[in-house]
Amino acid sequence: MKIICVVKFVPDMDSMVCGAGNNTLTGKTVRIILNPDDVCALAFALKVKASDPDCFVEVVSMGPPSVRPHMEDLLRLGVDRGTLICDPMFDGSDSFVISEVMGRYIATRPFDCLLTGTHSWEGGIAHVPVQLAEILGLNQMMGIFGIAPHGFDSTRAVFDVEDEKRVATYEMAMPCVLSLTRESGYKLPYPKLTDMRRDVSDELVIITNKDLCFSDTQVGSAGSLTQVVKTYPKTYEEKDRHIVKNDEEGISFVFNFLKQKGFL
Amino acid sequence: MKKTCIFQDTEKRGNTTDLLEVALRMYGQGQFESHAVLLEDSLDGLLGSFHHIIRVAQGIVNGFDPRQICDVLENLHRKNCFDSILIPATSLGQMIALRLAKRLRTGLVAGVTDIKRDKEQIVIIRPACSGKILEGFHHTGKGPVMMSIRPNAFAHTPVEPLQTVVSEYTKPVRSPSAVKRLHVKENQQTCEIQDSEILVSGGGGVKDSFPELYRLADALNGTVAASRKLVDQGIAPRSIQVGQSGKTVSPRLYMALGIHGSTQHMAGLRHVETIISINTAANAPICSLSDIVVQGDALKFIDMLMDKILIYRSEKYI
Repeated sequence: MKIICVVKFVPDMDSMVCGAGNNTLTGKTVRIILNPDDVCALAFALKVKASDPDCFVEVVSMGPPSVRPHMEDLLRLGVDRGTLICDPMFDGSDSFVISEVMGRYIATRPFDCLLTGTHSWEGGIAHVPVQLAEILGLNQMMGIFGIAPHGFDSTRAVFDVEDEKRVATYEMAMPCVLSLTRESGYKLPYPKLTDMRRDVSDELVIITNKDLCFSDTQVGSAGSLTQVVKTYPKTYEEKDRHIVKNDEEGISFVFNFLKQKGFL
Repeated sequence: MKKTCIFQDTEKRGNTTDLLEVALRMYGQGQFESHAVLLEDSLDGLLGSFHHIIRVAQGIVNGFDPRQICDVLENLHRKNCFDSILIPATSLGQMIALRLAKRLRTGLVAGVTDIKRDKEQIVIIRPACSGKILEGFHHTGKGPVMMSIRPNAFAHTPVEPLQTVVSEYTKPVRSPSAVKRLHVKENQQTCEIQDSEILVSGGGGVKDSFPELYRLADALNGTVAASRKLVDQGIAPRSIQVGQSGKTVSPRLYMALGIHGSTQHMAGLRHVETIISINTAANAPICSLSDIVVQGDALKFIDMLMDKILIYRSEKYI
């Protein structure tokens, strides 16, 4: 079985601040991490590989050259091939363009299943997996919090999805795109001691625009179909608050307030 | 006259009309023609709100297969040349919106919470950086303006009833469905947090006593909600999460127990009448936005307030 994991390295939100007005992210030491939902997708792929040594796992990511050591760390976990799509021409691309670029590469690769995360680093739905599915002509499902171990092979996947009102079990024919959530709880294995300093540079493939042949009007901000024109700081109206202690007097104040407002 | 297409809110059908407010803010009163696309037969509450209602005939699409639903919307767009396509940002809606945008080769702004006009241009606004800032977008390119709209972000007040033309979509779709739903279990949560007037919400400060919140919620006839911190730790289900990556809520009373009030969390509070926060740190961000701040332990607060409520209720009914 051949699995491609589409992952993204992202800033750790807890270590950064957003600067309004100039669309920039600021932070003294912004830590780069693997997007938490993507961690689960890769962890599941490596779990499949652990039980089936013939399973081939490729990780595909798009990002700057600084992502390279992080990709190498994934190879040390047992990933068979790492592919970093990296070219200054792609800087400033929106998700529409990113999915075009990744789709052009992935279309050249053999796979039975694409595994990825549901949410992006900032909490919203990740756009690229859905749009990749459309480019590749595949079915896709997001919000997956569990995949049946015996319901996952090169012909089909059986998995559980939670949405607004229900938990449902689906079966989807392969090849397809499955987007996991962190609720799935799949954890990456620890690297073996012998692998921690292993030279994996040969296993990491760098793909540039020389390989993909996009014109400069198709990628970057020129190829993007939405344009951020302004950022606004999110402001909230401060209230004339009343601070009370957690004692008889304070609780009576809250109780009387609730009664007065008709909440009791 | 602009043409806008609104796809049904498949989770809360009644919210479908709220998307008319988005079109109204973009084009102005009387300047657009609305086309609602429904996957079900019932027209309850929708007749008179839209100029056109297009019902997809039964058996044409698998209602949980985004590819097939995209086929329908794509065909309708090719026929009607919509200026905008608005889709509720539910789980299904987001998969449809992203696919359709790619198929129509148009940009999509996802999770939209506001629309403004800057001279003649429409500025589409959505939260970014976990709700820390708002981003304003211009639509570029030739395709229709496409948005997925965050549930509860807009409320539409109808002016006068319209003469709705109802039609049926019967063209078979081109993508065969390869998705089967094997089992479904409805969530146990009896009341949606988006429908509740009173929310008793817990954060990291109540991670060891989260079930106690249900006692207080029951006593207030409210519903329990949670911050992302408790959801990430597996203590609370995602279905009750408030915030940028959870739900937007507009209760009359929001009681925040042990909630720090990150911008990510505050992004989920909209038009909340009263906030009471219970926190050991009176300088937590949520406290500055609260009407009352109770400084102290949340569990002790629940016990003491419950005592008062029980005495009040027993006296009231003697």
